Amino acid sequence: MSDNKAKGKSASSSARTVHDASLVRMVDIHKWFGKVCALRNIDFHVNHAEIVGLVGDNGAGKSTLIKILSGFYTADRGEIYYEGKKVDIANPKVAKQLGIETVYQEQALAPHVSIARNVFMGRELTKILGFMDRGRMDEESMGAITKLGLRIKDPEAMVEALSGGQRQGVAIARVLHFKAKLVVLDEPTIALSVKESQQVLDFVQQLKAEGISVIFITHNIFHVFQAAERFFILSHGEALTDVRKEDTDIDHLIDLIVSGRTEMK
Amino acid sequence: MSGNTGQGKRVLNTFIRMRSLNVFIIFALLFTVFTIFSPGHRFSSKENMLVFLAAGSEYNIVALVVGMLMIAGEFDLSVGSILVFTSYVFLSLFNTGINILAALILTLCSGAVLGFINGIITVKAKIPSFITTLGAMLLWRGVTLFWSGGEQGGLDFTQNPVIFKAISGVVGGLIPAQFIWFVGITIVIALLIHYHKFGNWIFTTGDNKMAARAMGINTDAIKIICFVIVGAAVSFAAVMQMFRAATFSARAGDGWELKAIAAAVVGGTALSGGIGSIIGVFWGAMVISVIENGLIFMRIAYWWTFTVFGVIIVATAIISRVIDQRRAMLGADR
Repeated sequence: MSDNKAKGKSASSSARTVHDASLVRMVDIHKWFGKVCALRNIDFHVNHAEIVGLVGDNGAGKSTLIKILSGFYTADRGEIYYEGKKVDIANPKVAKQLGIETVYQEQALAPHVSIARNVFMGRELTKILGFMDRGRMDEESMGAITKLGLRIKDPEAMVEALSGGQRQGVAIARVLHFKAKLVVLDEPTIALSVKESQQVLDFVQQLKAEGISVIFITHNIFHVFQAAERFFILSHGEALTDVRKEDTDIDHLIDLIVSGRTEMK
Repeated sequence: MSGNTGQGKRVLNTFIRMRSLNVFIIFALLFTVFTIFSPGHRFSSKENMLVFLAAGSEYNIVALVVGMLMIAGEFDLSVGSILVFTSYVFLSLFNTGINILAALILTLCSGAVLGFINGIITVKAKIPSFITTLGAMLLWRGVTLFWSGGEQGGLDFTQNPVIFKAISGVVGGLIPAQFIWFVGITIVIALLIHYHKFGNWIFTTGDNKMAARAMGINTDAIKIICFVIVGAAVSFAAVMQMFRAATFSARAGDGWELKAIAAAVVGGTALSGGIGSIIGVFWGAMVISVIENGLIFMRIAYWWTFTVFGVIIVATAIISRVIDQRRAMLGADR
């Protein structure tokens, strides 16, 4: 396929030259579901403190790729290097230990539980015999939230009372507090108002400022174009292009996604 | 002037935030009404208070743990049948003449096993606990009827005065031991679910199972543990009832499953899980048991009990919905 060649030129060649500069590098990733090939020959990398937009239409393979990276699936072929070392991300726990955190919109928070308890969900700070240290949980969750630039008064308030943008902020503050090195945001601006989306895009910049790498998955090319420095476009399980922001523009990206081919321009 | 209205608003907001306070006020109102209107004010006589606090506490303990299970997002319709089954287990063990403490512990274990069966079927077969425990409700009552032949059986505790006192005595001639157990169990469970990390796992499991799972919480294990706690607590209530009544009845626990859910709902527990407070369920259970006891003294027909229950349950559910909407804006103390 001609697409394959085009991709091979942009992604694989860089793989050899900048091998150790990247935080994570996925090489020659393949994934089949039965006879359906979900991913074919994918080379994907993220540098330190870099924001990468992972873009593609429905069924392009974005979430499959991310699930391999976060340990929910294992690749049928290919290798993953993390900070230069080959790693086997066998399950989500391994991914978390490496510092790879995924934020799914629907799966992030419990609405009727307080903000502080959401931040520490499953990783509660305790005093003795497993009793929670509520004071420290309040304090540290507020610390992470403030660092992110989010203004919330009361860590004891329920998540239900927050706006959609604030909820994303709490979920992102959680991964910030737990020292993630790579944060995967799955459709972080979906179903948010213009103002709230802007707030979330600001959080993404704040993560970068903290030295954290971000993979921003979305359908919304306008949001991702504003936030990301590089774009990795998937189409039908294959890498279409891997392009830096300064080498492209919105119209070009839209053309690529819609046509599913690189020779449009 | 404005300071005054501000304060009024603050009092109202505090009231709305304190869900358990609302339920306590309902209880206090009912208590007052029954005291005033029962002939000769016999409702609040010492004799009746002893009965109310003793017999009521057995059911209240069941309501408490059912409330906890509902916060984790599951139901247990089989509590009445677990109660009658484990009552018969205790009777049979007692009749063999083994040490009474051993009989008690074995009975608690049998209740825990029944709870475990409910839990494991619900989470592993992925069917709603409403169905699992509906089946268990019919099964265990059927088994008990078959096993006991539907007969009554008496127990004589005169050989075991110490344990009899500990479970169904009256402390200082004023407070039945059952009520002290009820308060003690309330405190333990309240500490567990509101202050312990295990409680946070229960709330998040019931509120958003996917989120809890994504954060590494073993939601299946949490649910099974809650079912086991329910089974053990129900069998303890069964033993209490046997000590108080000194007899086994094949009708024991009949209808308790819905009354327990009613108490939890009146106490502010959401049917959908993730919302509730143990102090709320404490007063919710007290409301249900005070209605049951109080109506007897009002010299009105028994069927009124059902009518009043029905009205109170639906009314409190509507009121809680309104209050919860306000409360979401204010942030909540439970």
